[in-house]
Amino acid sequence: MYNNTIMTHFTDPTFVGNIDSPEVEIIVGNSVCGDRIEVQLIVQGTVISDVSFRAWGCATSVATGDIFCNSVKGEKFEEIALRDRDYFSKMLGELEPSQRHCIDIMEELHTKLCRETRKLL
Amino acid sequence: MTELQYSGYYDYNATTPVADSVIEKMSSVARKFSNASGKSALSAINKQLIAESRSNVADLLCCDPENITFVSGGTEANNWAIKGGLLGFVKNPGHIITSAIEHPSVLDTIKYMKDYFGFEVTYLTPDCHGKIKTEDVEKAIRPNTQLISLMYANNETGVIQPVKQVQILARSRNIKFHVDAVQVVGKMVVNLSELDADYVSFSGHKFYGPKGIGGLYVKDKSSLHPLIHGGGQETGMRSGTENLMAIVGIGQAAKTCLPEIERWNEKNNTFKKLLINKMLEQEFEVEFNGTTSFEGAISNTVNFSITGIRGEALAFLLEAKYGICVSIGSACSNNKKKDLSHVLESMGCSEQRIQSAIRVSFGLHTELADIDYFIDAISAAAKKLLSVSHSIKKAS
Repeated sequence: MYNNTIMTHFTDPTFVGNIDSPEVEIIVGNSVCGDRIEVQLIVQGTVISDVSFRAWGCATSVATGDIFCNSVKGEKFEEIALRDRDYFSKMLGELEPSQRHCIDIMEELHTKLCRETRKLL
Repeated sequence: MTELQYSGYYDYNATTPVADSVIEKMSSVARKFSNASGKSALSAINKQLIAESRSNVADLLCCDPENITFVSGGTEANNWAIKGGLLGFVKNPGHIITSAIEHPSVLDTIKYMKDYFGFEVTYLTPDCHGKIKTEDVEKAIRPNTQLISLMYANNETGVIQPVKQVQILARSRNIKFHVDAVQVVGKMVVNLSELDADYVSFSGHKFYGPKGIGGLYVKDKSSLHPLIHGGGQETGMRSGTENLMAIVGIGQAAKTCLPEIERWNEKNNTFKKLLINKMLEQEFEVEFNGTTSFEGAISNTVNFSITGIRGEALAFLLEAKYGICVSIGSACSNNKKKDLSHVLESMGCSEQRIQSAIRVSFGLHTELADIDYFIDAISAAAKKLLSVSHSIKKAS
């Protein structure tokens, strides 16, 4: 079963695509289930101004990519950096045990985003 | 999809909707509460109903009613055939031959006999089309082989196994032979008198009967120990007060199937051919898992992988957007353990191909329009998911 957040972001993702000249690119994969999410971003100052993703994986994994993009667009780096694992879990809603690896994917997306955006400062 | 809408249901190998005639027959006996093994006149009526059901099942399977014992389903039948058939050997455990593509109720039972009693086991792997070779069975036979267990047709690929050839081998060497026929009964003509195996399992809910009822064909009851002891029902082979409604249900299901099987088979073959041809016309790249030959597989099953799409994601999108229900070859896994189809793995399919696998299985309520609907839906769903994964580098 999938919660409504996962269902909405999986069946009708709004951030699928490619950015022609991305300033930041992050790639997250899961070696066990083979899921892979690639995110491209444009920044203005310390704000994420545009973001898109591609994903190969399960429904929850695809939804995770879209939820991540939705949550970072228009946000400041320093505010994104304050998020913790509890926040990531709430972003995805209630998950079945087999879907919980997507919390790790969400955490890794944030970790890599913070690492890459720090390089721009 | 509501309970009574069958148009989006393409998962008949998992289970089938109970036929109307079965519901009516079961309802007609709902108040017949007397114990069928009792001595009263009411008990005698119920006993007669059970006898009629056994006779209907025997007609479907082309065997004598005396060879049929009712059990709770395919899993119990498989457990009973394997444990009951080997119980006489536990003080001198020998060798078992089975295949790597069996249902878990066979594989886990054999593993139990291996782990707790010390039987040795040979697991045969199929060819890339999903078929076990008779010569591999012959080569695996040892002087101390005590049981061969092989499924009639595989539940994931529909590929029919060489059960008659293996029966001849087993009989010539005096080895007991068990056949898990759960996926073929009600889908194709099954003649157990001709097959002449020692034990054959089947399940009611796979052919429009209720859940919780199945049976085991036993050629010679003296060769098999009972699994459940007690009141001596089912000629002492399976104790426990008879489940009259379920037994009447499986009997009616058998009676309903018998005159229809060849027509259903022909219809399903037409749909299978159409589905395969239309899938090949689509823009996406598709690989079929298991043989697509119409003689080598049951007519209602098509297993395929669309390159670049996870089966789990496709199945969910088909259900969420189009009300379509199918099965997948790989469940969503956690961070530590992969959950890939053991059947497709043993056929040598790549991990990505297994993760992309979808099984479609037709049945009684499938119509030509359902095939067209499925093709339109999968075409749109695949296009959408491929747009999500488009240009992504090979997943790690």
